[in-house]
Amino acid sequence: MKQIRKRLRLLLMVMASMFALLVAYAVYSLNMYDTRWFTSGSNTFVRTVKKNVVPGDIFDRNHVLLATSSDGERVYQDDLAARSAVVHVLGDNLSHVSYGVETFMAKYLYGFDASYIERLSAALRGETRRGDDVFLTIDSRLSTLIARAFPTGKAGAVAVMNYQTGEVLSIQSFPTFDPQSITSAVKNDPQKPFFNRAIQGLYAPGSTFKIVTAACALQNLPDAQTLTLLCDGQLQVDGHVITDAGTTKEDLEAGSVSGHGELTLQSAFVKSCNNSFARLALALGDAQLKKTAEGFGFGDNFLFRDIVLQNSAYPGGARSAFELAWTGAGQSALLSSPLHMLLVASAVANDGVMMEPRILQSAQSAGGTVRASFAQKEYKRALSSETADILKTYMRGVVTSGTGTAAGVSGVRVCGKTGSAQLDTQEDTNAWFVGFIDDESAPYAACVVVENAGGGGAVAAPIAKTIFTYLANQGK
Amino acid sequence: MKLFSARSLSRERRKSPAAPMLAMAMLFFFTAFLLLALKDFSWQAVGMALAVPAIMLLGVTGLPKLFHADKLLLSLVNFLCALGVLVLYRLNAQKGMTQALYYLLGVGAMLFCILLVRYMRAWKWMTVLLCAASLALLALPLVFREKTNDAYNWVTLAGVRFQPSEVVKLALLLALAFLLANRKYILAILFAGACLALLMLQQDLGTALIYYGTTLFMLFAATGSLLLVGLGLAGGAGAAYFGYTRFRHVQKRVAIWQNPWNDPQGAGYQIVQSLIAMANGGLWGVGLGVGNATVIPEYDTDFIFAVILNEFGVVFGLVVLLIYLAIVIRGVGVALRARNRFDALLAIGCTALLALQTFVIIGGNIKLIPLTGVTLPFISRGGTSLISSLCLVGLLQGVASRNDDAIKKDKALAELAREELS
Repeated sequence: MKQIRKRLRLLLMVMASMFALLVAYAVYSLNMYDTRWFTSGSNTFVRTVKKNVVPGDIFDRNHVLLATSSDGERVYQDDLAARSAVVHVLGDNLSHVSYGVETFMAKYLYGFDASYIERLSAALRGETRRGDDVFLTIDSRLSTLIARAFPTGKAGAVAVMNYQTGEVLSIQSFPTFDPQSITSAVKNDPQKPFFNRAIQGLYAPGSTFKIVTAACALQNLPDAQTLTLLCDGQLQVDGHVITDAGTTKEDLEAGSVSGHGELTLQSAFVKSCNNSFARLALALGDAQLKKTAEGFGFGDNFLFRDIVLQNSAYPGGARSAFELAWTGAGQSALLSSPLHMLLVASAVANDGVMMEPRILQSAQSAGGTVRASFAQKEYKRALSSETADILKTYMRGVVTSGTGTAAGVSGVRVCGKTGSAQLDTQEDTNAWFVGFIDDESAPYAACVVVENAGGGGAVAAPIAKTIFTYLANQGK
Repeated sequence: MKLFSARSLSRERRKSPAAPMLAMAMLFFFTAFLLLALKDFSWQAVGMALAVPAIMLLGVTGLPKLFHADKLLLSLVNFLCALGVLVLYRLNAQKGMTQALYYLLGVGAMLFCILLVRYMRAWKWMTVLLCAASLALLALPLVFREKTNDAYNWVTLAGVRFQPSEVVKLALLLALAFLLANRKYILAILFAGACLALLMLQQDLGTALIYYGTTLFMLFAATGSLLLVGLGLAGGAGAAYFGYTRFRHVQKRVAIWQNPWNDPQGAGYQIVQSLIAMANGGLWGVGLGVGNATVIPEYDTDFIFAVILNEFGVVFGLVVLLIYLAIVIRGVGVALRARNRFDALLAIGCTALLALQTFVIIGGNIKLIPLTGVTLPFISRGGTSLISSLCLVGLLQGVASRNDDAIKKDKALAELAREELS
């Protein structure tokens, strides 16, 4: 019996730790995710409460009124172009758009965080309660400008942020729609206008991923800056061929592919040579490349305080040399959102430190009490500041003499990287540009994606130019 | 402490911590039902406001008058049962009334179990009977093939619809306790294995998991053999792997568990709505009667914990968890005071079964483990489940009262010895 009692005590410990696990997990997961669960489009409870509360107003960084309420209706900016340019950031109160401010910040807008006293006094006075006003870091004027510059009829996304503070100036997805008249044509549009491509769209990042491959090479190969890469335009790996963007099957068969010749890492980056980056990926190996990619946030579970961002993926499992080679050039099962690629460029711009992106400046009660405001926060260090400095010069080269000259603004130190990602399901490539202004007085980064539109340098870079021109002149 | 120490010489008259707790609990249910009465202007709810605390009082203070029972254990269990009635009444008055009826029946069944443990002597024949009946009962649903939510675990006999596995639970505990106490380990393992195989065939994975865990716990308590437990764990892992590769519905459950948000309106709907209900509740809950957790499918059985978190809040939910833990601690206490192997094994078996069942279903609700449909003991809607949970407590109480008899006998002997010495 004595033996049994000893075992019983042990079993009690086992059962007690099972309960401890339940408590710990419940507390942890509610603490981490409750806002996301609460604001999810599937939450019918929020919809019911919304009927009894007048939602607060939404303002942009320059205190432009983006949304207000009038006679129980949600009213947005008068100008159609202006209100549809910020429609994905704001979302709509029917939750067509996931994680827009209207739903994700319902806590403030509908006063869910109001105290019981406030609720009670409103009820006693017979007033309809009014939620808090929300001030965003979004720049409505810039958003309208971008919408105007974006190719009509094309799908895609744009995101702009201050890489030093993490303030997001624009999150845009195309096509847009008018939040004040959501027609069945919009609902049934095959291009899915409600889908917020900037934060939820997962794309092959294409050559913009070469920032990561280059960072990996600089950090792991001792002679990275001096080594010579030979490009003949058709690298053979495992019996398959790695080609550059724009090379067709016919070109290969005709033998008219010449390649870039002898390159350094810098010139390979500036010319966006797939061949060289495939070689680099093979030299670095899957494990090293994956580690650097994870440093940049691939595979992270992004839990930002006020932005819900789809997680990016670095392909897992055993992979062939051919697949690895393509990954070095930004293809083959790599997936990333436009906002994440913006963070990648921002980390390079900000001396290797990735700031947490945020769009909430403050939430204020009608009386002016600040109810919530988030301080800027480092998300992680993605790379060393030395590597970041070298990458900055490479990215500057892309804009001065490489594939991204169309993004250049005279008198402004614009750096960037283009991308033209191929998709089997699409006729044309997805055009990418990520870049930033390398200047303390205008610390902004931008990411542009235009789907099925052609080369990044030709299609995406000019939009980035519009953005950088506006931002560089803003203070003047 | 000084105040009580003089009186604690006599165990019966010692002031129990259960008394103020009981008063608080009665007040809680009184006001809660009054609130529901105000909400719907229903006299029935007013009646419940009086009846439920009265049943609690009867259950907690009345029963121990008949013979010794652990008062604290009784009040904790009664609180959970009454909470079940309250939550169900708020969701659907009719369901609440039915549950209250089962609660009364369950208290009667609990009494029967106490008497069974106290006065039953012919355990050998009883065990043979129990084993045979268990296997027959577990095979019944396989014969009738009445499908409920992916599983064949219900039968209708003579117009009564019930879940054989809930009844067999009790038989399993009694039979295992007897076999293990008499060191018939092979027989015990064979019997438990047969039950598990039948449950797997019923595709009732949650219950199989609970049976399996309980058997392992009892086996360890009886033998202390790490080899046997290791073999048991390996067998369980093998069965789990086999089940995962063989059965589509198992793979589906695991996939939903990994990411219910892949399909929040379809396959993941249940879990997603459960998580949302908890998030809506926040720390202090949305309030009794104003939540909308009824959007969760099976809200009154599998997901009753989510409903409680929704209306009463996380803090209250954690308190409910702590009550379960307190029951477990008390149950192990009963086992520790037991005078023979059978009593100790029976008590730890009952306790482990309650603990495992609670863990499996609450873990499923909060997405800690894949969801398997079992009921939350004492709270979930369902006659078989509530009555069988109360019977478990009855078995535990039976052991407690036997312990008490033994203590009294010891005391009497000590008294006698002292008198003879003087």
